[in-house]
Amino acid sequence: MSESSARAVFKNNKEAAFLLLPTVAVCILFLYYPAIDTFRLSLYQTTLVDESFAGLYNYTRLFASESYRNSLFVTFGFAGVVVFGTMLISLIIAFMMYEVNTGTSVYLITAIWPYALPPAVAGLVLLFLLQPDLGIFTYYIRAIGSVFGYDIQFNWRRNGPLAFAVVSVAAIWKQLGYNIIFMIAALNNIPKTIHEAAELDGVSRLNRLFRIYVPLMSPTLVFLIVINTIYAFFATFPLIDLMTQGGPGGATNILIFNLYIDAFENFNLGYASAQSLVLFLLVGVLMYVQLRVSDRYAHYGG
Amino acid sequence: MAESTITEANVEHEKRRSLEEYLPDEWLMHIGLIVSISLMALPLVLAAIMSTQSVAQIYDVTDLSPGSNAYENYYRVMTDYNMWTFMINSFIMSIAIVVGKVVLSLLAALALVYYDFPYKNAMFMFVLFTLMLPVPVRIVPLFELMVTLDWTNSMLAITMPYLASATAVFLFRQHFMSIPASIVEAAKLDDVGGLKFLIFVLIPMSKGMIAGISVITYIYAWNQYLWPLAIISSQDQQVVQVGLKSLEGTAAAGQIEWGLIMAGAMIALIPPLVVLIVLHKPLLETFGLQQK
Repeated sequence: MSESSARAVFKNNKEAAFLLLPTVAVCILFLYYPAIDTFRLSLYQTTLVDESFAGLYNYTRLFASESYRNSLFVTFGFAGVVVFGTMLISLIIAFMMYEVNTGTSVYLITAIWPYALPPAVAGLVLLFLLQPDLGIFTYYIRAIGSVFGYDIQFNWRRNGPLAFAVVSVAAIWKQLGYNIIFMIAALNNIPKTIHEAAELDGVSRLNRLFRIYVPLMSPTLVFLIVINTIYAFFATFPLIDLMTQGGPGGATNILIFNLYIDAFENFNLGYASAQSLVLFLLVGVLMYVQLRVSDRYAHYGG
Repeated sequence: MAESTITEANVEHEKRRSLEEYLPDEWLMHIGLIVSISLMALPLVLAAIMSTQSVAQIYDVTDLSPGSNAYENYYRVMTDYNMWTFMINSFIMSIAIVVGKVVLSLLAALALVYYDFPYKNAMFMFVLFTLMLPVPVRIVPLFELMVTLDWTNSMLAITMPYLASATAVFLFRQHFMSIPASIVEAAKLDDVGGLKFLIFVLIPMSKGMIAGISVITYIYAWNQYLWPLAIISSQDQQVVQVGLKSLEGTAAAGQIEWGLIMAGAMIALIPPLVVLIVLHKPLLETFGLQQK
């Protein structure tokens, strides 16, 4: 492009190489080399002391494994719940913030702070507040239940679906801030004239949100779907590790937790590497989808 | 006088405006916002209150009065439970990652925008592609590499792999391309070299972007969990997020001192929260740019 080459006024190749060297060196040593070695290791059977070539053994073992198939199923379910829950709640909060004319900056900072919330802190705090015996939330959930004549046990340490729900709530809570930031930015990019025309035509609030704004925000929403899915796959590890350890009965055993246990508690490095490769392929597909979809919606971009 | 200039139409208009402003459904929006924001903050408020309570008060589940154990809980968690060491390690790690990542990415972006060299686009793609390689897809060989380098339980292990950043290089490159080309041409005419151009011209023009990327990186680094958990086994070298896990573990032996654990959680939360609140403006600007 001529636009970019107009700035490229320095011609010294050695200097350019010198400037790029630190970044490229880190990329090769700590990113590319380990990633490629993951592929190699996934074809080996490993013990603590040596490794031997085993072809696709790790992969056949992986997909024959009942618990890994369960883990895949749990991960997709978890990602689906977290992405949908996070985005729906964030969208409603961002929309309310966009609609009010006063106090916007106060609302903004009090709504985006979970962006800074460490997942480990989110996990630990909710673990405590939802304790089956000591948790204050549990206490009120039970109290409300007993008003309607239900004896709610809320023992999510024993109940798989309940544990899945508790971890999902923690994951959604932590991810709201990030989503609200991007949704507010997208809403503010919508031309004021569209907003005014819709208001004049008497389009109701909810219709305005879902029929007019959501389609206009679609590039941002696609971007957020991908980011939130990757978040649910990887960044929720501390929640699982602190709250449920993948249990009960594998109900919250997402792929990354399964991988961690196989690698660092069972020391089955080849088997864990095969799991890493599966995760790499999943991320690759997601990124590809995002590129494709955002290309298609490019004409909406402001 | 101002009063005399008000026409009847103006009065009418004012009336309608104020009516519109106080329409009940605008208030509904405010109520909705206050409820949702309070719900989001509630767990932290409760945790903060309970971090001051004694074991007896915690066992009285509905007791929400601030306890008398604030000093004891925070003091003990810092000294007896190693939180002081964890916090210092987290600070060193986060600051090293922020400084390293910003410097390395500025240098790389300078080369990618202002230098003419072969395979420039391929080089950019090479850096960008690392977005596809988060820690979990390379964790096993990365662990083995650290063992080979004898870096386990060291600060090097939890900082070096984070220094190259596709996102930061991408954002700095975008930002540099929005600076008029005439500026670099003038610098070239004055015979200013690339590094001097970066230090005296580009960096002063990129303060907001540098601040934004620093905030994003700081929060990201501070919240790291999986990799330190895997590579650091010594309590003296551990970071605060993983330290919380050991806190949960030690307290689980015997009577669980939840007040103490909540005090630890509050301490681990404060640094990134303060950074976010103080520097939210450059952060939001950087995110706004990232979208385009």
